[in-house]
Amino acid sequence: MSFFDLLLMGFSEAMTWQNLSFCLLGALLGTLIGVLPGIGPTATIAVLLPITFYLPPLAGIIMLAGIYYGAQYGGSTTAILVNLPGEASAVVTALDGYQMAQQGRAGAALAVAALGSFFAGTVATFAIAIAGPMLSQFALNFGPAEYVSLMVFGLLAATILASGPVLKAVGMILIGLLLGMVGTDQETGAERLTFGALELFDGIDFVVIAIGLFGFSEIIANLERSGSDNVKLAPVTRLWPTKDDFRRSWGAVLRGTGIGTLLGLLPGGGATLASFSAYSLEKKVSKHPQKFGTGVVEGVAAPEAANNAAAQSSFIPLLTLGIPSNNMMAMMLSAFMIHGITPGPTVLTNQPEIFWGLVASMWIGNALLVLINLPMVGLWVKLLTIPYRLLYPAILLFCCIGVYSMNNRIFDVMLAAGFGLLGYAFRKAKCEPGPLLLGFVLGPLLEANIRRTLLIEQGDPGIFVERPISLVMLSATVVLLALMILPSFRKTREEAFQEEES
Amino acid sequence: MAGPSATAKGDRPDLLTAAIFIGLGALGLFLARGLDFGTPSMMGPAFLPRIVSVLLIAIGAVVGLSALGRPAVAIEAVRLRPVIVITLSIVVFAYAATHLGFVIASFWLIIAGSLADPGGRWWHTLALAAGLTIFGALVFVYGLGVQVPLWPF
Repeated sequence: MSFFDLLLMGFSEAMTWQNLSFCLLGALLGTLIGVLPGIGPTATIAVLLPITFYLPPLAGIIMLAGIYYGAQYGGSTTAILVNLPGEASAVVTALDGYQMAQQGRAGAALAVAALGSFFAGTVATFAIAIAGPMLSQFALNFGPAEYVSLMVFGLLAATILASGPVLKAVGMILIGLLLGMVGTDQETGAERLTFGALELFDGIDFVVIAIGLFGFSEIIANLERSGSDNVKLAPVTRLWPTKDDFRRSWGAVLRGTGIGTLLGLLPGGGATLASFSAYSLEKKVSKHPQKFGTGVVEGVAAPEAANNAAAQSSFIPLLTLGIPSNNMMAMMLSAFMIHGITPGPTVLTNQPEIFWGLVASMWIGNALLVLINLPMVGLWVKLLTIPYRLLYPAILLFCCIGVYSMNNRIFDVMLAAGFGLLGYAFRKAKCEPGPLLLGFVLGPLLEANIRRTLLIEQGDPGIFVERPISLVMLSATVVLLALMILPSFRKTREEAFQEEES
Repeated sequence: MAGPSATAKGDRPDLLTAAIFIGLGALGLFLARGLDFGTPSMMGPAFLPRIVSVLLIAIGAVVGLSALGRPAVAIEAVRLRPVIVITLSIVVFAYAATHLGFVIASFWLIIAGSLADPGGRWWHTLALAAGLTIFGALVFVYGLGVQVPLWPF
């Protein structure tokens, strides 16, 4: 089948009334939680994961994907109107967007953000459609050794591009790997790290960890911080941007889309990294960089295009290689797994309707999001006036039902509460829980592939540097590590020297 | 570890990180103690758990040692009320859902959970509890078929 036929098949899959309504539901939910500052897409998807078990695979995945990219639209709305970024990826949008709103140009900022996002989403959708089949063709040649190197590279690169100290992130990955080993060993049948608890013999459910670390501990952390009650709304005026806005933002949208699509591909990349990079790039190429932060339209257009492009292109490594690049994609991976689908190169050949249906739904979802966001912006902003006091009991209840419904066991809920406490401790220790999820989902895959490789090679690890693809990936890992460890190593030493002198 | 008043050194969040990493690594080693390590060509069940645990302890040690030398940074204040109230309400919910049914469990969760952030009007909480319980029963129990009894009998 040609590219065009496949894309057409995708659209016919995505256009069934069921998939269309779940796409709309995902986009609505995404916008909703994007607007609400107390809850992010990670927690929402964690809550909804168990529910997707009751849906057909494609419908569930379409809905979850819609939540992710929908949150990028919703997050910008609050960033512009109330200087309150609903999501981390909209932080830079607030810089110029809120200033524009202060100058009475809120409508133009919102429209540029939405249209720029739509354009970026369209480009990223095509990027997936084109890069997907090529990459998975390439990945079909991968043996276990290549997968091991790819996963090691992905995990380490994710820590480096993510915020925060690298060593802590590596530690979090290791904890994730360890948690992934709980339960019965697949090869030997021995049960490991279970405390002898029967409930742990099948391992820990992803949902239990995700809801504990992101749902429960987020609620506790939000309750600790009080405030943000007084929200001042900027009035929304004329929605349509001026000719001058269009003229100045199209270049920014193009650059933002490009940088977002590329950064979304990288492990650890994603919407937040992309929006920050796009903003600083825009500042560099601008003829008037000093004006940034005072309400220039490029400062809204570029990061908004970038975060949406990245949110979508980060699906590429997952769909083609089966390797999630950030914690959102770890969630998506487990959404596939719930239905017994292992994402990777074989999905494209065995279940092309899943891949192409998802790709088509992303484009439809983006179009829906423009409709959801622009004319209805007043309604979404009203939601901001709901106090967190009325919001968190609802989130709490959905989290609890979500965990309970996995196996109808008290044990799972208790375990999730325990992970909530652990997540709370992580917050106090300033450790990002994201890499833990990546380690957790990749752990079993990594172990199985290391085993397979070493079994074939009779214990000789030389294979990892003999196969060219594997060698390239391992070298890249070493270079990245050296780059990261050396400067920080030097910095700590400098600090030590300074203290000795003083 | 020196107390906060004894010295102005020590990045407390990083020291806590070190404690968590080393503690979990040690726990991993302890739990994997009786298992077979195996050889690289025939990896036993303890092979990777032990390697990962040792790496985790090593990283914890590095993070902890470098934190000792840095200027003191305090851990954000801990407010016990939300931690305890939220955790307790979740745990009791689990038991209540199994033995007393969803309706009672859901009411408990929302009313008890609301105590984590006091100051709301009681009838708001009650209305919220009623609304969410009806919504939960319709969507999750009837709609999605989550296997949980609605009533205690």
